[in-house]
Order: sequence, then structure tokens, then C-alpha cells
Amino acid sequence: MAAPLMDIAVSRNGRRVLNVWFAVLLVFLYTPLALLLVFSFNDNNLPVFPLRGFTTDAYEAFAANEELRGSVVTSAKVASVSSLLAVLLGLFAAIVLVRRHIVGKAAASALLLSPLVVPYIALAIALLVFFNEASVSTGLSTIVMGHVVLSIPYTILILVPRLERLDVRLEEASRDLGAGALQTFRLITFPLILPALVSAYLVAFVLSFDEIVVASFIAGDATTFPLYLFSQLRFPTLLPQVIAVACIVMAASVLVLVGAEIARRVAERKLLGEQAAQPAP
Amino acid sequence: MAVEAEKITPPETAQGFLGRPRPGLVTTGLLAPPVLWLVVFFLVPVVLIFLYSVNVFAFFPGTQGFSLDAWENFLDGSPFLDLFWKSIRMSLIVSVVSIVAAYPIAYYLALVASKRKYVLLLLILAPFLVSYFLRILAWKVILGDQGVVNSFLFWTGIRAEGDPVSWLLYSQFTVILTLIYVYVPFVALPIFVSLESLDRRLLEAAADLGASRWQAFRKVTLPLSLPGVIAAFIFVFIPTIGEYFTPLLVGGVDGTMFGNAIADQFGQSLNWLNGSVLSFFLLAVVAVLMGVFARFLTVRRVATG
Repeated sequence: MAAPLMDIAVSRNGRRVLNVWFAVLLVFLYTPLALLLVFSFNDNNLPVFPLRGFTTDAYEAFAANEELRGSVVTSAKVASVSSLLAVLLGLFAAIVLVRRHIVGKAAASALLLSPLVVPYIALAIALLVFFNEASVSTGLSTIVMGHVVLSIPYTILILVPRLERLDVRLEEASRDLGAGALQTFRLITFPLILPALVSAYLVAFVLSFDEIVVASFIAGDATTFPLYLFSQLRFPTLLPQVIAVACIVMAASVLVLVGAEIARRVAERKLLGEQAAQPAP
Repeated sequence: MAVEAEKITPPETAQGFLGRPRPGLVTTGLLAPPVLWLVVFFLVPVVLIFLYSVNVFAFFPGTQGFSLDAWENFLDGSPFLDLFWKSIRMSLIVSVVSIVAAYPIAYYLALVASKRKYVLLLLILAPFLVSYFLRILAWKVILGDQGVVNSFLFWTGIRAEGDPVSWLLYSQFTVILTLIYVYVPFVALPIFVSLESLDRRLLEAAADLGASRWQAFRKVTLPLSLPGVIAAFIFVFIPTIGEYFTPLLVGGVDGTMFGNAIADQFGQSLNWLNGSVLSFFLLAVVAVLMGVFARFLTVRRVATG
């Protein structure tokens, strides 16, 4: 092997330019968020320079605002139910897509994944018209129905690769030893794909918790958290409070997702360790 | 042992815990719930929208009756059609700028950054965890007449108080800037994936054969990363055509997009007939675009083997 004379991917100057560009993009991505954080602690009802001083008023006001806390609870309800349904339905679909050769598979997967590219506004309108025609009064349950549609493709896209990587011989061994399909799923498949199920659930949860376009058309009297935030924007003096809550939610979702990712890695590493510990045949 | 077992079992596709393929019940039972859910809460509503758009259904009872008038009005140079083209133009700008901005980042991460690349990628993707609403709100706070930028300009005396730079907020510019902000991380990801799977030996071969870095990039790296670029383009261009919330928050009159017109027809204007036409048109455009892109991607895959 000849010593690498030059890096063909990038020259020294090129590397410098790319470093700078990377830094510029990071500044672009993080400055707005950092500014929001700063203004949530600023002692002024308007987000303007110069800064006046440090206060946690906005955060305290949030704790005292019952409507606001109520909307967080509403969103949590919608998100926990809709993501559970989406994971369940996505799991059913993923199993068939990975393990079965059926007629019309391409059509089925196209349908199941299509909400990924459908403009939310079009789906929101279609559901509004549909529920109106079906005389279903809109509310929490209709938001759930809409959010499940939006979440299903994400849960499928997370579960399919996991099922594909699963060693089917484990399942087949279980069947050969006399276990039924359900028993095998419960004892073998489910524990193995549990980390993927959890990440699918979390992704669907965050998507639903954050979703506003579909919710705003079929919410009825219900006020989800994003809808509440949006309604408060009309009152500029409430802005610091809105920012404060948003910061809390941001911190919470970062914690949850990072925690889940770490848990997933630990679980997978443990699994790999167990597999490696098995003597090779 | 293992080898024998494989001989006994016919070499069929892996079925896993379901066991041998048994046509019928189990498969149907599994596939039916998710498919039915999408049929009921997605396909049927879309069909309904179409029926509304040709006036087979109508909001006010008694006025229905098949008619293509609304479609003719829309396609015959209505202001909504102009708005549609304006949205397409804005989406194109957003997609192209995002890709141009994100490509060097993806290249840097995949081919230059070596060990730290996943950490750096996470840094780029992390803003995704922040609520969509919050990310747009941030720009409203920054760009408003009383916002961060203008108050900073007043404070430093660059701009006289009471004379803010007003085009910063509620304009096409704001919508485009905000959408780029939202989509840049999203764009970087598929390009990164395609560049990361690039076989570096191809670049070394190009260098051995006397190619300069620029030539190697143009003839090897760029063509091989095109599927990632196309995927990125699809995932920005298509959703932004129907963008509704960003223009609503930061667009003002100048930044209005097609999605806002649709919402308005079902809201204030209460013209479901017209709104259904706009809505179904948008869905049809997206479906056609997806068809075209999907074909383009498969042709490329076949062509590159």
C-alpha cells in the first residue's frame, strides 16, 4: 500500500472552508433558540434589546396558568393514545411487509407510507369534510384519528428495518420446538424488537404532541398545547410566558429522546453481548 | 447440525414466528387494521373532497349537482392559480437553497470529519427535537418591528427609533428564510447517507488515474450522491408547496401561500366547493410529482446497477 499522498476528498484549504461553513450553519441553527431562551429569562414583557435583568417570572406565571397546564395535559392524552394506536397498527403492517409475500404489497405500502408526503393542510381539510359528512362531532377523538394517520408511516419505517435485521432462525427454532405463533411472538420476537417499539412510540408521541395543522381544523372545543400557544400569540405581553413553556417542553423532549436513545443502545449492546457469548455451532 | 437443518427445511423466504406461509387469515388479519385505518381516515376523505369539488356533495343542502364549473374557474387564470405558482416558486427557492447549504455539510460529515461525524450529525439534527411552532416563533421574535434585530439596531443607533426595517417580518423573504431554517437539517440527512455509503476506493482510483479533486468530485462523488439529493429535494419541495402554518405566522399578506388560501376557503370564506377544488388540486400535484420522482429514482438505480 502506498502512503496516502493526498486526501482526494478535500484539500487543506477546502477543509478550512468546510469547517467555517459548518460553524456558520451551527450559528444559524442555534442562535434563534438561544435568543428565545435568553428572552424567557429577561425582565421585560417584550422580547427587545437591551436586556433588563434576570427573572423567572415567566416560568412562575406558567405554573400558575391553569388553562396552559390543561392544554399540556390534553396534548399528552392525545399523543399517548394516538402513538399507541400508531405503533400497534404500524407493527401489524411491518410484520406483513417484512415476512409475507402478498399480492398488492407495493400498493399497500404505498398507501401506508403516503401520509409522509401528503400536505398536512390537505389532510386536515379532508378530515374536516369527512367528519362533517359523517356527523361526527370533532374533539379529542378526531384529533387522535388524524394523528394516527400521520404517525403510521413513521412507526412502519422504524419497525421494518428492525424486523429485517432480526434473526428469523430464533423464531423458527421456537416454532420447531412446538411454540405457537402467538407464544413465539410474545417470548421471542417482542422482547427483541422492544427497543424499536419504544423509539417508534416516542417518535409518534412527539409528532402528535407538536402537531398543529391537522389539530387546528378538527379539534372542536379541545385545546391542545400548540393550539393554546397559537391562540396566546395575539397577546404580545404573554409572549415571554409562551416562550418559557416552549423552553420547558423543549428541554423535556430532548431529555426523553436522548434518554430513550441511550436506553435503546444499552439494550442492543446487551443483546449483542448475549449473542456473542453463545458458542458458535 | 445447522447445515442439515437448512437442508431439511425448504429454502423459502424467512417467515419467522408466523411459520410457513399459510395464505389467508393471519396475513389479512394483520394487514387489514392499518390499511382500513388509512382507507377510512385518508382515502375516503380524499375521495369526498373530490366529490365536493365537482359539486356532487355540497355544504348547503339542496345545491348539489355534478358540475365542473369550479374547476373551470380555477384553471382559467384565477388568482388562486397564480398563488399556486407563487407557492411553487417559493418552495423551489427553499429546496434549492437548503440543498446548496446542506450539501457541503453532508460532504464534510461523511468524507472529512471521520470519527466525530455522528456527534456532529446529531448536532445538526438536534433542532428537530425543538417544537416546530417554537422554531417559527423564534423568527417572529427576532425579525419583528419590535424584535431582536430591530431593537438591536435602535439600541446601537444604526437605525433611528421608530424607523424599523419592516420587510424583515411578514414578507415572502421571512417565509423563505424560516422554511430554510426548518428544513436544512432534514436535507442534510439523506445527502449524508448517500455520501457515507460512497466507496472511497472509487475516489482513490480517480486520483490514481490523474483526476484532480474537482474532477473526482464532479465525475464520481456528485453523480453517486444524486439519489440522496433527489430524496432531499422530495422531502422539502413537496411538503413546502402545501405549507400553511409558517406563512400564517410570519408571512403576512406578501408571504401568503396556497395552503393559506385553502384554509381560508374552509374558514372565513366558507366556500367548500372552491376549497375542495384547491385542496384536491394540491393532492393531485403531489401525487404526480411523487410518481415522477419515484420513476426517476428507480431508473437511476437500474442504470447504476
